[in-house]
Amino acid sequence: MKTSRYFGASVPRLEDARLLTGRALFVDDVQLPAMLHAAFLRSDEAHARLNGIDVAAARKRPGVIAVFTAHDLGDYWKPGPLLVPPPPIEGLVFNTATQVPLARDKIRHAGEPLALVIAESRYLAEDALEDIAVDLVPLPAVTDLEAALAEGSALVHEQFGSNLAAHVHQSTGDYAAARATAHLVLARRFHYDRGAAAALENRGVVAQWDPRAEELTVWDTTQAPIPIRNGLAAMLGLRESQVRVIAPFIGGGFGPKIMMYYPEEVLLPWAAMRLGRPVKWIEDRRENFYATTQERAQIHDAELAVTKDGSILGVRDRFLHDTGAYDPYGLTVPINSQCTLLGPYVVPSYDSEFTAVFTNKPIVTPVRGAGRQHGVFVMERLLDFAARELGIDRVEIRRRNYIQPEAFPYDHRILFQDFRPLVYDSGNYPAALAKAAELIGYESFVREKQPRLRREGKHTGLGIVSYIEGTGIGPYEGARVTVEPSGSVRVATGVGTQGQGHFTTFAQIVAEVLGVELEQVQVSTGDTREFGWGTGTFASRGAVVAGSACYAAALKVREKILSLGAALLGVSAGELVVTEGSVRVREVPDRGISLGELARKANPLRGAVTPGTEPGLEATAYFGPDRGNAASGVHAMLVEVDPETAAVVIKRYVVVHDCGTVINPMVVEAQVQGGVAHGIGNAFYEQLIFDANGQLLNASFMDYLLPTALDVPTVELAHIETPSPLNPLGTKGVGEAGAIPTGAAFAQAVEDALADTGIEISEIPLSPNRLFELLAAARGAA
Amino acid sequence: MKPASFEYHRPSSLDEALALLAEHEEAKPLAGGQSLIPAMNFRLAAPGALVDLNELPELGGVVSSADGGLRLGAMTRHSVLERSTEVAARAPLLHETMPFIAHPQIRNRGTLGGSLAHADPAAELPAVMLVLGASFVLRSARGERRLPAEQFFTGLFSTALEPGELLIGVELPASPPRSGWAFEEMARRYGDFALVGVAAQLSLDARGQVSRARIGLLSVGEGPVLAAKAMALLEGQQPAEAALRAAAELAATRDIDPPADIHASADYRRQLTRVLTGRALKRAAKVALQ
Amino acid sequence: MIVEGIYPLPGTPAVIWDLLMDPEVLAKAMPGTKELVRAAPDRYEGVMRVGIGPITAAEFALTITLLELQPPLSYSMQIEGAGRFGFTRGTAKVELAPNGAGTVMHYSADLQVGGKIAAVGQRLLDSVSKLLTRQGLEALNRELTARLGGEPA
Repeated sequence: MKTSRYFGASVPRLEDARLLTGRALFVDDVQLPAMLHAAFLRSDEAHARLNGIDVAAARKRPGVIAVFTAHDLGDYWKPGPLLVPPPPIEGLVFNTATQVPLARDKIRHAGEPLALVIAESRYLAEDALEDIAVDLVPLPAVTDLEAALAEGSALVHEQFGSNLAAHVHQSTGDYAAARATAHLVLARRFHYDRGAAAALENRGVVAQWDPRAEELTVWDTTQAPIPIRNGLAAMLGLRESQVRVIAPFIGGGFGPKIMMYYPEEVLLPWAAMRLGRPVKWIEDRRENFYATTQERAQIHDAELAVTKDGSILGVRDRFLHDTGAYDPYGLTVPINSQCTLLGPYVVPSYDSEFTAVFTNKPIVTPVRGAGRQHGVFVMERLLDFAARELGIDRVEIRRRNYIQPEAFPYDHRILFQDFRPLVYDSGNYPAALAKAAELIGYESFVREKQPRLRREGKHTGLGIVSYIEGTGIGPYEGARVTVEPSGSVRVATGVGTQGQGHFTTFAQIVAEVLGVELEQVQVSTGDTREFGWGTGTFASRGAVVAGSACYAAALKVREKILSLGAALLGVSAGELVVTEGSVRVREVPDRGISLGELARKANPLRGAVTPGTEPGLEATAYFGPDRGNAASGVHAMLVEVDPETAAVVIKRYVVVHDCGTVINPMVVEAQVQGGVAHGIGNAFYEQLIFDANGQLLNASFMDYLLPTALDVPTVELAHIETPSPLNPLGTKGVGEAGAIPTGAAFAQAVEDALADTGIEISEIPLSPNRLFELLAAARGAA
Repeated sequence: MKPASFEYHRPSSLDEALALLAEHEEAKPLAGGQSLIPAMNFRLAAPGALVDLNELPELGGVVSSADGGLRLGAMTRHSVLERSTEVAARAPLLHETMPFIAHPQIRNRGTLGGSLAHADPAAELPAVMLVLGASFVLRSARGERRLPAEQFFTGLFSTALEPGELLIGVELPASPPRSGWAFEEMARRYGDFALVGVAAQLSLDARGQVSRARIGLLSVGEGPVLAAKAMALLEGQQPAEAALRAAAELAATRDIDPPADIHASADYRRQLTRVLTGRALKRAAKVALQ
Repeated sequence: MIVEGIYPLPGTPAVIWDLLMDPEVLAKAMPGTKELVRAAPDRYEGVMRVGIGPITAAEFALTITLLELQPPLSYSMQIEGAGRFGFTRGTAKVELAPNGAGTVMHYSADLQVGGKIAAVGQRLLDSVSKLLTRQGLEALNRELTARLGGEPA
């Protein structure tokens, strides 16, 4: 699709007026008559045998309506479904253990829910939590990934006989041969620790059963309203049409809200039906640190084999992945790590093996980047170390190994998380690198500025790294476009929105096709009553998949406009143009009909109907891509480090990004800026710290350090556009891009600033305290 | 994260507030609420009653005293101290410190008295009060008394306040002539709890020797810490680089027994104390010499 | 969490041993102990109320089991406490060595802390444990001095 009036323009977001003036509906805004409030008793222990729960005192407390434990759920107590089955990789081992609504016999992570209290207010419900007595026997906690796999370790799930959740081996080429012929083989161990998604809005559910209509309505902060509707209907024995799930405005998703059938999501509708009153649960921040899924911990033992001139011969990687207490999301995260490691590089041989491990920690599912940052970190660090050893410039070693612009489609010959081969659709990596190096002033920094600042006593460093982000995966999304007799255009799709700007970008696509003003297009998303087919917002796929569906539906409506217009105006469709909210005869511009008028005419009255007439200017279309596409980019940053205090300040941050055709540059910039903030958090500030007993030691924003606006520089952004051939818009996803290579860039920059100390950074996040330790160790070794 | 139930009182005079505090043993005074309310929401604090001090005009205000000092009301907001020209002129160390306290939103609500009575070991104001030699004015239904800052802070979140007693203000003496000051802090993010902070003031005599050295450290002990050995070392010396460095070393190694937590080991806190004390003394000396 | 240290006390190990086995003295050595009873020859049960600054004192149910008793030189304790703010459990070891006319006590504890105090109290845990340890040792010292002073020579 070509750039014109709206498509490709930085139009202000249509939803912002509602958001900024407090008129947008969030789940906690839902107030219903006679509504009750829920609170959950959560385990203090990370691993324990549960003997019993005494809720008698809580039930007697005034204002308490009901208290439920696992035993009160009867047949409704069931582990959740496996959301993403493992891909068909030969020799793959996968042990499924999914979360349970309330712990019954065993507790597997701190914060696992034990009981549900429903009371007249949240205050009273929390008072009642303190009345509950839990009888349990603590068990040794499984927290260390290597110890978890050792003989004699305590077991998170006894039925498997070990803590192994999965084992996957993928390879291509002959790594052993590559290693044998390599000039240099570098082997390192890399750590990448856990982080939280920490959305501004925590999760929340309101459930209401209407006994007259026999309908269940659930307001839910989910990224996947349609699958939730289908699942709840099946669990509760209802027809899908009896369940309406509304994902209204949501204050950030970042992945954990695509995790489905959380205990609270399953229990609230059940309780509302049972009690005959609406029930609300809003997750508080402390709960969020345990009850909402998390991501990141991996340990990689990786090896890079290169020639003397820095050409990659092969990579071998063995890594451990912490999946937490359950693995409902399958292998998406570690497979992303495995595939994304290859990046924009030609890697003739790759031998990658991972073991996913059950631990007594909260569940791991994708969080913005979804394991991709781990792979990027390993590869980019290996290239940095190789460049240093070989005396090659770090920009040059990357350039030498890039897949060239004429080599697309490029097949890495392994399987991606969408079960499709990892084939890149398009890209221009050398151009992106050159642009980023120019924007950050790489040459002058390295040759002139950095040495001068060093002489002035300032330790400055530069990081510059590449990455690929597999985006826009299937299966499919749909959209319905309707021209209403009022002349306004309604677009309904199912993906749901968490702040990405869907109300604007989808409207831009449709406005462009139908030739109407942007403000005339109203988008509805995330309400199953409006649109009932689709999967959800994840994997940077909204614009690619749902956007393409909107486009396809708009094209169909355009056909209807042309054909009805032709009939009414007495010309052929080819003589018509659709523009300025009307259809007109190209050669006679004052001969035309407004779209509203046309919509009225398309709703024929008695006598005007001929057999086969389809009323309305309305169409529904679906789009399912053959496979995901490869967005890509280069990040570069400048830091200044105080080696005495280990304080690090990020001075500049440059991103050159390729998400194919850009629908709205401003929305893309915002996504990248937010992603970089997320990435900086992961790299420098945020770390979920668990002790050896599985206790989370920083379950509040006092100690879990989210970067604020003051800690994140404004990103300087430039675009490279290599349109994707996999969808009609040519677009690729952008939601996660900013967060993916930040850790690698940060490590390189800090190391560069402290080059005279000889430290090597192979772990993320890197706190000042940890940097102080590394510096002290380097001084001790020197 | 909802608090347990509590009674709420909003007195309109200081006497009424003191009477309420005397009457309700379980009561806590509510000043800016920036520490108390989160503790209540976590249900770590569950006072039976709150006595809200926000409608007591007699507790507000910055008043210059005739001796060149300042009298600061306990309910003076951080943001008022931050913008006060009297504070800038008469207590420049306090003025320099204010922006380090949390964020503007918190400074708009938080109060001087609340911060001092809370006595968080990572708070900036207690250490500054030690350095400035502040006098604390305490009042209860039984009467009023004054305590020097050193005697007010008694340990971890602990002060000399008796049950039913309120901190109603502090009095700062005039700065000695030829004084220099500096505040240095390392925090993870802008506005975070300090990993280590240092408030320093050096006064010189006519010969240019240090007549009085005050070094207050925060986040390195159970409360604000006066680096007594470092201060003693400096007094009577020329504020030369070597002496300042030696004092900083003493502060880091002999004056503190810093705690470890997930953000900073004890060793790292010692290193930060060494570096930041050195920097603060250097700047303070430079200002004093001007 | 590891708590460790040495502390000089007046009196011989035997005198101190007897005092340490006395629940009344033990209670004084643990700040905030409201009650402590000897539920079995090797087990004490009680209730502690610990509150620091803004933290309203909360009750902990406490069980201490004595192990590896080597009178008058060493013993170990298994400690379990649980309350609204979470739990603590672990082991502690006390060793008494004669030191001139007095005794040097070496104490070490490896305590696991869980629940709310571990989750949101990190910034203060180290300081609190230091404070409670110091207060306990001082109380023990006072008690010993008082008892020794009261005894006919």
